[in-house]
Amino acid sequence: MKSASSRFSPALLAAVPVFVFLVVPTLIVVPMAFNQSRYITFPPAHFSLDAVSGFLSDPAWTSAVAASLQAAGIAVGLAVLLGGSAAVALHGRRFPGRNLLTGVILAPMIVPAIVLALAFYQFFTSLGLVGTILPIGLAHAVVATPYAFLTVRASLSGLNPALVRSARSLGAGWLSVARFVYLPVIRPGLVAGALFAFSVSIDETVIALFLQSPSATTLPVKMFTDIQYNLTPKIAVSSAMLVTAATLGLLVQVSFMLRRRSNARMLPLTSAAADQTG
Amino acid sequence: MTTSSPLQTAADPTTGNQEEGSIELRRVRRTYGDVTAVDDIDLTVHPGEFVTLLGPSGSGKTTTMMMVAGFEELTSGMVLINGRPVDKLPPKDRNLGVVFQSYALFPHLSARENVEFALRMRRVRPAERRQRAEEALERVGLAKLGDRRPRELSGGQQQRVALARALVFNPSALLLDEPMAALDKRLREQMQEEIKTIQRSLGISVLFVTHDQDEAMSMSDRIVVMRDGRIVQQGAPDDVYAHPVNDWVANFLGDANLLPCTVLERSGETAVVDLGELGVGRVRDRGASGDRYAVSIRPEHLAFIPADRTENSASGRVVTSTNLGATIRHRLRVGGQDLLLRELSAGRRTARELDGEVFVGWEQDEAQLLVLES
Repeated sequence: MKSASSRFSPALLAAVPVFVFLVVPTLIVVPMAFNQSRYITFPPAHFSLDAVSGFLSDPAWTSAVAASLQAAGIAVGLAVLLGGSAAVALHGRRFPGRNLLTGVILAPMIVPAIVLALAFYQFFTSLGLVGTILPIGLAHAVVATPYAFLTVRASLSGLNPALVRSARSLGAGWLSVARFVYLPVIRPGLVAGALFAFSVSIDETVIALFLQSPSATTLPVKMFTDIQYNLTPKIAVSSAMLVTAATLGLLVQVSFMLRRRSNARMLPLTSAAADQTG
Repeated sequence: MTTSSPLQTAADPTTGNQEEGSIELRRVRRTYGDVTAVDDIDLTVHPGEFVTLLGPSGSGKTTTMMMVAGFEELTSGMVLINGRPVDKLPPKDRNLGVVFQSYALFPHLSARENVEFALRMRRVRPAERRQRAEEALERVGLAKLGDRRPRELSGGQQQRVALARALVFNPSALLLDEPMAALDKRLREQMQEEIKTIQRSLGISVLFVTHDQDEAMSMSDRIVVMRDGRIVQQGAPDDVYAHPVNDWVANFLGDANLLPCTVLERSGETAVVDLGELGVGRVRDRGASGDRYAVSIRPEHLAFIPADRTENSASGRVVTSTNLGATIRHRLRVGGQDLLLRELSAGRRTARELDGEVFVGWEQDEAQLLVLES
């Protein structure tokens, strides 16, 4: 594997322009956040932290960050709980309607955001909930649940079904089965699902725009409304923050995947060696 | 000392319960839609007995065991453990030690923590359960490897951990589901002996599932041969081996010479049969009746004899002789039929001359009248 990746490949050459095309526009906003100017300009002329400190001292922006984090907190918690338990419940069971149920769980990934936004707007308005951050968090949870469901389901595919049976034969009730059999197996799936759910919620704009109120404005909504009449570098600062958050999330996930893979690669080697000696 | 002995026998004679450690199945049936996996089975495992369910895949042996363990529901019938019905009991309350084909060790727990698991579920104090787990690991020869994770152990070592884990909580009985299928031949034979030794010293009842007839022969007190969800035959290993009820059992349990015959006379355990060109035979009879009959003789129960006899013998010639190391396998042409004869190679200096006339014979007790099913 190492020799294959170190060898030069023509496909790599083709990947470079694609990479530039995909990543550079995102990265352009980062230096703009550190520019000394009252407006967003490119290329940046003088390095300055004015925009950053301005952003941090402006309650309108910090409360938007807080609102986003609150919504994301609700979304992550619910998505991991619902998606994770749905994946465990459906694991290894065959019953009529199983595929339909899976489809329902995954539907929010396919339904256009604008349709969901409209539906949520009507639903939460009729409940009288609009005006707080709660409906945005709940709506984001619906959109994020499929991701947690999929990541937990993927981690369950490595579960030996005999583990559940052996735990039960040894005297474990359902709580102990959940703790000693399911949790260790789905932990990476839960972490990945939480990261996905977080990035879905933190970046979601359409639904949050529909459900916004002066006391519940998330960061993307604030950026969107501001950009129409007030092109300050604070927008670039928030963009830079979002890019940083997304990158950190990605790195955490990659490190998780690499650790899992190295564990998996160790397995046949060590057991083969032990077979030789033992 | 009595409380800390982790592997004391489950069938404790002082309790006075004669059924302690017994497993009984009464007309147990399991269907999946139109498919009948287990078809009205009656079976009893007596306390301390080693009973093997032997059959090809799809014969219902694993389903039967899983119903005993409580992982499969019964369509009808009843399972009793220690003489008490367990149909309402979930697996965790059946107090059975189960060893799975894949061992099913918890990968994130060390070998000792795996063994401790059942004690932990039973709220045994940490100090005591650690001690009992250590003793159980010692019994299976893994005293020094308690801190290893399952993936750091070889297949044979994992299997020992699984065995220690299933025994540490003094279960009523042990259920073993093809526990040695993943091991190589040498290790498998070693584990067979070890499991047998442990079982004998604990006096624990065992229900064992396998498709490997050698394993069944070497370990069991009683073999229960299953086919298509039914019990075809059961009995002591050498009895089932030497006296199969039909040609399917004869062929499933090793090599068999099947000589078609017509029954001349049946009286009790003996039958007189006409073997056509092989003359008249006097053979064992189990009383089974069918449309067509044959006599089954194991290759090692055929022997070269100096001269023809009036009964239970025939003349023919040697077609091939193959030296297999410990034994020599002769292929014979006798009265228009191909027969296999196996003899020990010890003491033999020369191969038997090919194409020369030879006489073969067999003992009445080692020839079995059976029903031809196929």
